[in-house]
Amino acid sequence: MIKRIKKINYTSWLFILPAILVIVSLLLYPVLSSVVYSFTSKHLTRPVSTFVGLQNYKKILADEQFYKAFFMSIKWTVASIGGQVILGFILAMLLNSIKIGKKMFRVLLIVPWAFPVVVIAVIWKFLLNGVYGFIPTMLVNLGLTDTLPQFLSSGTLVFPTILFVNLWFGTPMIMVNILSALQTIPEEQYEAAKMDGASTWQTFVSVTIPHISKVVGLLVILRTIWVFTNFDMVYLLTGGGPANVTMTLPIYAYKMGWGLKLLGKSSAITIIMLIFLLIVCSIYFYYSDKKEKENV
Amino acid sequence: MRKKLSVRTIIKYLTLILASIVAVFPLLWIILSAFKGPGEINQYPTNILPKQWTFDNFRYVLSELNFGNYIVNSLVIALATTFVAVTISALAAYGVVRFFPRVGKALTRLLITTYMFPPILLAIPYSVIIGALGLVNTRIGLIIVYLSFSVPYAVWLLVGFFETVPLGIEEAARIDGANKLQVFIQVVLPIVAPGIVATAIYTFINAWNEFLYSLILINSTEKMTIAVALRALENQEILDWGQMMAASSLVVLPSVIFFVFIQNKISSGLAEGATK
Repeated sequence: MIKRIKKINYTSWLFILPAILVIVSLLLYPVLSSVVYSFTSKHLTRPVSTFVGLQNYKKILADEQFYKAFFMSIKWTVASIGGQVILGFILAMLLNSIKIGKKMFRVLLIVPWAFPVVVIAVIWKFLLNGVYGFIPTMLVNLGLTDTLPQFLSSGTLVFPTILFVNLWFGTPMIMVNILSALQTIPEEQYEAAKMDGASTWQTFVSVTIPHISKVVGLLVILRTIWVFTNFDMVYLLTGGGPANVTMTLPIYAYKMGWGLKLLGKSSAITIIMLIFLLIVCSIYFYYSDKKEKENV
Repeated sequence: MRKKLSVRTIIKYLTLILASIVAVFPLLWIILSAFKGPGEINQYPTNILPKQWTFDNFRYVLSELNFGNYIVNSLVIALATTFVAVTISALAAYGVVRFFPRVGKALTRLLITTYMFPPILLAIPYSVIIGALGLVNTRIGLIIVYLSFSVPYAVWLLVGFFETVPLGIEEAARIDGANKLQVFIQVVLPIVAPGIVATAIYTFINAWNEFLYSLILINSTEKMTIAVALRALENQEILDWGQMMAASSLVVLPSVIFFVFIQNKISSGLAEGATK
């Protein structure tokens, strides 16, 4: 054991000091301010606010719209991540198994990842436009439907539509990361499994899955956080409509804060979101740590 | 056996081709539509390739709709964010790897925790703080706010790159009498330069693409970033899709082109971070 009697080394601290400043002043301090705002009547334009205790939380927890938005956020997150992982996985396996054109397909398939969300919304609204959009008119021309489908303004079609857009956008990132993980699996392990007479499925379960589960696990948690907290995608595609059916929690909070100008209530919504995420992630890390310890 | 294998291969390639078309089609559609004239773009059925290629949409968007100005705004903000964020993060990532290695795992947790802070949550105190500092409608205000997401992400990526630097090289330089900062700049930075470039480009793309903070902190038409300007254009009463597509090309092309160059590095960085 090396003795840890060292002088405090100030120059070492100087390296990390600016980043600590950023994290404290731009992340920790604002979150604490938000907690404080959530107990006040903070207003977007009025300068004075008063302490209102749990009033904001009580009102939000009594609002039916909050539960609808919460449910929508969870449905949106689970469906998006589930779909992205399945599709990403399939595409990664395909890419990993081909010999010619691997690089080309990889580049083509990751294009959506680089799209700014604003452009995603604009192009899909154009392609799906209910009057002259390329996709609805093509579906009619092919004789698949008689009337132009209203992908973004029909209450029943809108969710599958925005889900499709989010799968289009999010799958490449999952695919590329699973592909990187697949490439780290030593070839011998596959050969060993083959020698033992394992079927393709058995090899998949006993060699492939354990090797990539850690990368996929972390990726899933990061993307879950991203989708759950993301405001832009749904807001830009639908604005939360039609008739609030696609309103997620971030949109609900945005409308409360910037539409109704009630920043205190809006803060309370976002704090509830954060608490929920902290609980979900703690559970995830509790189990992943436990699993890690068992494996060691 | 041989035959069965080749049928399988064909199915694989067909699936990949189909998936690639779905992935790339919107980008192609944006670019092709941007070159279509007003008569052609709303034609039914639509041509895929423009019959007559025209630059009118780009000309109009850049000069009449002031997108030249918005590009400059976004460019300045994204470049400044990148420079500041990568400088801060490179120092921090190196500091953690070299001087505080035991912090490593806790750091990952800290970064994931900060990632959990919803942008919409942060947007509220940002609008209050930036307002109090008198920085609403300024580039500097937006640059400060952009550090909130670019620094943690850049640190995450850079830690992976710095960990590949062998300690021996640095020790040799230390023996020669160089101090920590000199070692960092003269010895370490050149080794991780490719990683830093990739991180910088990724930071740039994220700042260039950002929407929410820019929507909330900028309300003068002059100061808008390109993403918000595009959204504003979409909300206009008379919507011209040709102009929309020209404006969209200007937003999306820089991101896609840069991204294609660095995608390899970014994804392996994340995968490596995960396996620690």
